[in-house]
Amino acid sequence: MPDPVLSYALPVLLLAAFPFIGGLLRGIDRKITAHMQSRIGPPVLQPFYDVIKLWGKKPFITSQFQPVLAFGYLGFSLMAAAILVFRLDLLLLLFTVATADVCLVAASFNSKSPYSHIGGMRELLSVLSYEPVMIMSIISIYFATRSFLVGGIFSLAYPLLLLLPGVFVAMGFVLIVEMKKSPFDISASMHAHQEIVRGVFTEFSGYTMAMVELGHWVKMMLILSIMAYFWAPNLLIGVGLALLLFFVSLVVDNIYPRLTWQRMLKTTWTFGFTLILANLVALFLLGGV
Amino acid sequence: MDIMNKARVKSPWVLHFNCGSCNGCDIEILAALAPRFDVERFGIINIGNPKQADVLLVTGPANRRNFRVLKNLYDQMPETKVVIVVGSCGSTGGVFYNCPNVLGGVDKVVPVDVYVPGCAARPEQIIDGFILGLQKLAEKGKKKVEGR
Amino acid sequence: MYGELIVATNVLLPLIMGLACLGLTGRGIRRAIIAIMAASLIASSLLLFYSGGFVYSPNYLVEMSALILGFCLVAYFLYVGFRIKNVLVIGLTLLQILLVAYFEYSAIGVSVEPALMVDNLSIFMSLIVNIVGSMICVYALSYMDEHEEILQLSRSRQPRFFFFLLLFLGAMNGLIYSNNILWLAFFWEVTTLCCYELIRHDRTKEAEKNAAVALWMNLTGGVALSASLFVSYYAIGSIALNELLMAGAAPILLLSFAFMALAAFTKSAQFPFHGWLLGAMVAPTPVSALLHASTMVNAGVYLILRIAPAIKDTHLTWAVVLVGAFTFMLTAVLAISQRGSKRILAYSTISNLGLIILCAGLNTPLAYSAALILLLFHAISKGLLFMGAGVVENRLHSQNIESWEGLLGRFPLTAIIMIVGMISMFLPPFGMLLGKWAALEVIASSPPSIVFLLIIFMVIGSATTTLFWARWLGRLIILPVKETKLRAEKLHPPYLLSLLSLLSLDLFISVGAAFFISNLVNPTVGGGYSVQIGAPLFSINTTIGSFPVLLFWLAVGVIFIAGFAVAKSKGGVVKPPFLGGENVEGNPSAFRTMADTEAEFQVSVMSFDSIGEGRLNKYALVGGTLLLALLFLMVMF
Repeated sequence: MPDPVLSYALPVLLLAAFPFIGGLLRGIDRKITAHMQSRIGPPVLQPFYDVIKLWGKKPFITSQFQPVLAFGYLGFSLMAAAILVFRLDLLLLLFTVATADVCLVAASFNSKSPYSHIGGMRELLSVLSYEPVMIMSIISIYFATRSFLVGGIFSLAYPLLLLLPGVFVAMGFVLIVEMKKSPFDISASMHAHQEIVRGVFTEFSGYTMAMVELGHWVKMMLILSIMAYFWAPNLLIGVGLALLLFFVSLVVDNIYPRLTWQRMLKTTWTFGFTLILANLVALFLLGGV
Repeated sequence: MDIMNKARVKSPWVLHFNCGSCNGCDIEILAALAPRFDVERFGIINIGNPKQADVLLVTGPANRRNFRVLKNLYDQMPETKVVIVVGSCGSTGGVFYNCPNVLGGVDKVVPVDVYVPGCAARPEQIIDGFILGLQKLAEKGKKKVEGR
Repeated sequence: MYGELIVATNVLLPLIMGLACLGLTGRGIRRAIIAIMAASLIASSLLLFYSGGFVYSPNYLVEMSALILGFCLVAYFLYVGFRIKNVLVIGLTLLQILLVAYFEYSAIGVSVEPALMVDNLSIFMSLIVNIVGSMICVYALSYMDEHEEILQLSRSRQPRFFFFLLLFLGAMNGLIYSNNILWLAFFWEVTTLCCYELIRHDRTKEAEKNAAVALWMNLTGGVALSASLFVSYYAIGSIALNELLMAGAAPILLLSFAFMALAAFTKSAQFPFHGWLLGAMVAPTPVSALLHASTMVNAGVYLILRIAPAIKDTHLTWAVVLVGAFTFMLTAVLAISQRGSKRILAYSTISNLGLIILCAGLNTPLAYSAALILLLFHAISKGLLFMGAGVVENRLHSQNIESWEGLLGRFPLTAIIMIVGMISMFLPPFGMLLGKWAALEVIASSPPSIVFLLIIFMVIGSATTTLFWARWLGRLIILPVKETKLRAEKLHPPYLLSLLSLLSLDLFISVGAAFFISNLVNPTVGGGYSVQIGAPLFSINTTIGSFPVLLFWLAVGVIFIAGFAVAKSKGGVVKPPFLGGENVEGNPSAFRTMADTEAEFQVSVMSFDSIGEGRLNKYALVGGTLLLALLFLMVMF
């Protein structure tokens, strides 16, 4: 692509916008959730207030490595987002997301806190439950586009969703796990804090927590963007689809209790694998690609 | 630094500690969190973790069994923070005043910023207490900036 | 002359120096011998790399003496069999003698020109064997001193140990140079012997038992190799590996290849032969490092890589793929339930070998490159990890990863080496992930008939791999508040030399991966494939994807520098963990409980006993056996 605006300026802008849109979506999420529970809920900008406040608090850390690792979570999430907007390799994106997760888990293991250890272990289990589904989705995208590059999605003449509806739904599971929403919120959530304090987030405070929160928004945006790419020819429709799934995940969050890790693993794997495999088999049988 | 203070006031995360209360005030606090009063409107979340909390919400009198826990929780909260006491017992010792196992009000152990009296304090009162507490929080935030 | 020099330094010199170790038992002399040996092995393998391959045929006398030595070796196995009263060992050895004797009788005067043939694959292997292997020998100098101190032996057993260690390296070099299958089998059996002797080195009951298991499993491989020799001779009238590989894929030759694959599976500890490698953990750690990183298991992979171009487009290759895929997945799942440091490493080795074999079996140029990349980086990282684990084991006197808690605070240098080693196994941008990236691409482009099965094996295997490494990594970095000031511990010079050189090698090759792949891996792929990984200097490109290695490293560097900058500018007070307010002053790992008494607490790793060995091992054995049956069934089609 020779146009420098389209190939460099736009992605950089998009990358810079990622945390902001992510924060806004978190605010909308809290507002909608509150309305579903017949509450008024906090202002839409609430997540930004939270993060700014956390940044200004007196820093408490568990060791000098914790802030570095917390920053690593944010940094690698942003890097994954950069891989997406610069249309590089999807597998690379997946590895980077895994690195971000390991940074978070390592930071939570850094202190000798039983709560944060349980949370960290559960976070690893959530990674275990969504990572296979995500790799399979990426391989499915490869089957449809014959390329592992994000650019391949855009070179298709028709939307990916028409070829891979099952994969799209399976990605919904990934979204719910990544957003730490019920029923897959075993590692940490806003609501279940009384059970394991705040799970993987227990030992973060002040600016470390702010960085983790930002990283969380970026990761949520990452998954939503991949979903938007399922309708690449007209990204507006894609964004609409992603927002629809976002809304569905909020509904699911409000009507399901959390599951144990065994059931979470079973659910994501059975539904994810079945949906994706059925989709792929159909794709091969119909000779779509 | 104005924006920092605004954010502080807009996002008070709460650590609720029951210091031996009869649960009357605790129920009222829960009522304040529930849909009818919905204090999450003001960004208040019951976070349950001192390391991320800004407001220590204490019910019940300080006693010899758990004053150490109260002190520890207070110490684990990073600045800037305020302490709000809900109920008569927490304010002065209440009906437990002069009991051998009771130290008295919470202010015997940690510095208290806002007292919300009542047995039990009503949700409206608690919200009023919060508003006062947030003013104090803003003052402390300003002082911190000037102090630097 | 050049070829003779290389053979002399890489095959004969280790034997001679080993004998010297056996004779000259002084500690200083041994150190000198090992130092000379390591230097000459590394130098000669680099020389080999720069000067390229050669062919070499020893004269008749050498060939005869090798044959006699071979029979001596088998006779020794027979003796061992009777000594430990193991019917399997006796039976397999007798079968072996019968096969080879009959072959020698019926094929008198068959000679192979050339007997040794060194091509790019051999050079590639030789670099791994010699560089990683020498480092392990250097490491063993310190380790064995500590080990014998712990055991409090009255008489040092080190001379024997180093004899077999060096012999092992020599035999391994001979194995990868051999073109004559008879020679290959001979060196194969020498490695089996060294493996057996090194596993039972401590002479405990458990060591003897596990050594016996290793012996009979590897003898199975030896018999399979002899059978392959037999078939090959009767099919094409030659026992030269290069002629066999050129001969095309007639069904009878496929049988020969199937036997070779079987032999390779025993050496590489694929299902159902994984038992011996796990049992081998009783040996001193340098042995494990040698077995896992540079010699034993790589021999099997080497053989698979050697025959892979010949079995392209046959059904046999799919059986090989399935064995690799099945082993990759199930061992990764098994590893998450383990708590022994060396056992986790062992399962991870078997798992990665499965992945390599899977790639080799897929038999496309990209797959072959992926297999080589994985092999290279696995050898370095695993050598490093075993060596680090050995140091820790000698300090803590325990293999349980529970006891690794807070290693970063106690032994920062070793801990950091281990952490980098672990990260290099499962996170980008280290080389292993590069290999896995290529493997994923290969698997995605495999034929529709098998692709779904492979994808499922692959995704489950990779996800569980992340889990068990991250879980272990978490143990190391627990830092109780008392120990936030890190002070590097003292390590013996051999430890430092071996650990740091492997660590820097790992980093160096990972950063310059694009360069090394274009200069080391791509020339090796050759042999019937046209090279497919395009590697410009900064990134690695295939036709379907791209991995910008240098950019990735740059980004990682930026993230960590920025992270440290943020951490430095914001700082922070180190606070004890949240314990519900019941913290004890001055002791971060205790809380107050009933009647204000103090109670120490522990944070343990999550156990996955419900999916542990007890439950999964039978699937491993049954599945592995069925797949082996499939291997031979495929020959008929």
